[in-house]
Amino acid sequence: MIITIKKDTKKLLETLDRYKSFYLIGCSECASLCGTGNEEAIKELTEALTAAGKTVTGGIVPTTGCQTLGTKVELKKDKDASGEAEVIIAMSCGAGTQSAVEIFPDKPVYPANDTMFLGNMTRFQMFDERCSLCGDCVLELTGGICPVTNCPKGLLNGPCGGMKDGNCEVSADIKCAWVRIYERQKKLNELEKMEDIAPPKDWSKSQKPHSLYNKEDKQKDKAGATHSDKTAKSVGAPPLKEKK
Amino acid sequence: MSLKETLQSGKFVVTAEVGPPKGTDIATMLHDMHLLKGKLDAVNVTDNQSAVMRISSVAVCKIAIEQGLEPILQMTCRDRNRIALQSDLLGASVLGIHNVLIMTGDHVSAGDQKGAKPVYDIESVQLLQVVDGLNNGHDMYGNALKGATSFFQGAVVTPEANPLEPQLMKFKKKVKAGANFFQTQAIYDIDKFKEFMAFARQFPVKVLAGLVVLKSAGMANFLNNNVPGIKVPQSLIDELKAAGKEKAGDTGLNITARHIRQLKEEGICDGVHIMAIGMEDKVPTILQRAGLL
Ligand code: SF4
Ligand code: SF4
Repeated sequence: MIITIKKDTKKLLETLDRYKSFYLIGCSECASLCGTGNEEAIKELTEALTAAGKTVTGGIVPTTGCQTLGTKVELKKDKDASGEAEVIIAMSCGAGTQSAVEIFPDKPVYPANDTMFLGNMTRFQMFDERCSLCGDCVLELTGGICPVTNCPKGLLNGPCGGMKDGNCEVSADIKCAWVRIYERQKKLNELEKMEDIAPPKDWSKSQKPHSLYNKEDKQKDKAGATHSDKTAKSVGAPPLKEKK
Repeated sequence: MSLKETLQSGKFVVTAEVGPPKGTDIATMLHDMHLLKGKLDAVNVTDNQSAVMRISSVAVCKIAIEQGLEPILQMTCRDRNRIALQSDLLGASVLGIHNVLIMTGDHVSAGDQKGAKPVYDIESVQLLQVVDGLNNGHDMYGNALKGATSFFQGAVVTPEANPLEPQLMKFKKKVKAGANFFQTQAIYDIDKFKEFMAFARQFPVKVLAGLVVLKSAGMANFLNNNVPGIKVPQSLIDELKAAGKEKAGDTGLNITARHIRQLKEEGICDGVHIMAIGMEDKVPTILQRAGLL
């Protein structure tokens, strides 16, 4: 899920200083699990805004904040309240915030959260980053442990010289990703996978902004470009030549 | 003689590290280079070591050539993407720099530019392959070069890494990727180093033992506690302690000299790489005591 943290309330209030009335949009998915976009978070921010002499015209926790069409439909029910507000505050991730921008073309939309990473919830409201969405997954080569994300250098061919007693050079609090991969491959009897040289990553696969259109019929995006079915918009680089 | 020719001739090779200064005043560095001239087979120029920003290693390698020294260009993968790395390699080549030592590079969080974006677009094993490609007249996308490079390429290895096996697996990849020689992280326990050499000798590569000159028992303890892959045995720490504050520095020089002598006389490896860390001017003394001058 997408991990968000609340912006500092005092700073947020400072940026909102020139406005008087607000409508708050949370999200029942990731931002609720993070505690940044659930009913409770909305209540908390409403109280802070009210205490600062502001008006909150209403709020909603839509099912999926980044699902633009669905959120738009859900918001229709609360049209009057949102219409009264000068500013929309999005209490979701940066994606949900930009869905709100699309839904409210005539109002300023402010983010209440900072969007951090794609995270695994290991325990309640404890999140760890395991995948950084590189677009060129190598997990099949690394025993299912992602070196692109778990190694601060994103190394693909084994541990660096900074590994100390199994821990990472960057922080003794994290185990070296390559020691983890090694231990797992050993356990699975697949150490030979560590003998092949992994080729350079194709970073063109993570070229931004991505789009993916899975519908059969062709669609038009805002810029007017058409995309055929099931294509991600990023273009791959030519393959590297094999050494003779 | 080039480093390649020297190593191939079977001569016991001696290299030492030169750290580019931070700033444009290179007087001390020139003085050190002058002292080292004629006494070493090559100088190894660090690349923004410990992620602390300094003069570029390519520039300092060029100065080394002008001072009559054979340079080894250290190249880390931390600061440049594949375009910049290849471009700098071509640049180094036309400046007459023909030895490279490829390494991953300390993470930016260790240095003095902490908000910098760590690059690692490609990493050490892949960069060794890239150098091999440039030597064969093409860039990493197979595009032909007008004029190939002729790099003699080296890599690094940590014989005392814990756990060791993943490090040895990476060593093998580096050999496969085209490494001609290896420079090791600092070693102090010669018997343990012999075990590593028994492994390394299976491969057609030359090995230079890394030697960091000890200044005091305190420094030895610091290395043990803080620097990955370095283990100073207690006997050496005791030796430094016994020498007392005044004499510890001199004892450190003796230890390095003694190790060089043993490595050479017993034919354990192909040479040494001396890291004097701020005491570059003491390298000639070490070499004298090792019987190499
Ligand atoms: S290799 Fe890429 S896609 Fe696969 S887990 Fe890692 S970051 Fe995610
Ligand atoms: S110690 Fe391991 S996890 Fe940390 S940067 Fe080096 S290889 Fe990556």
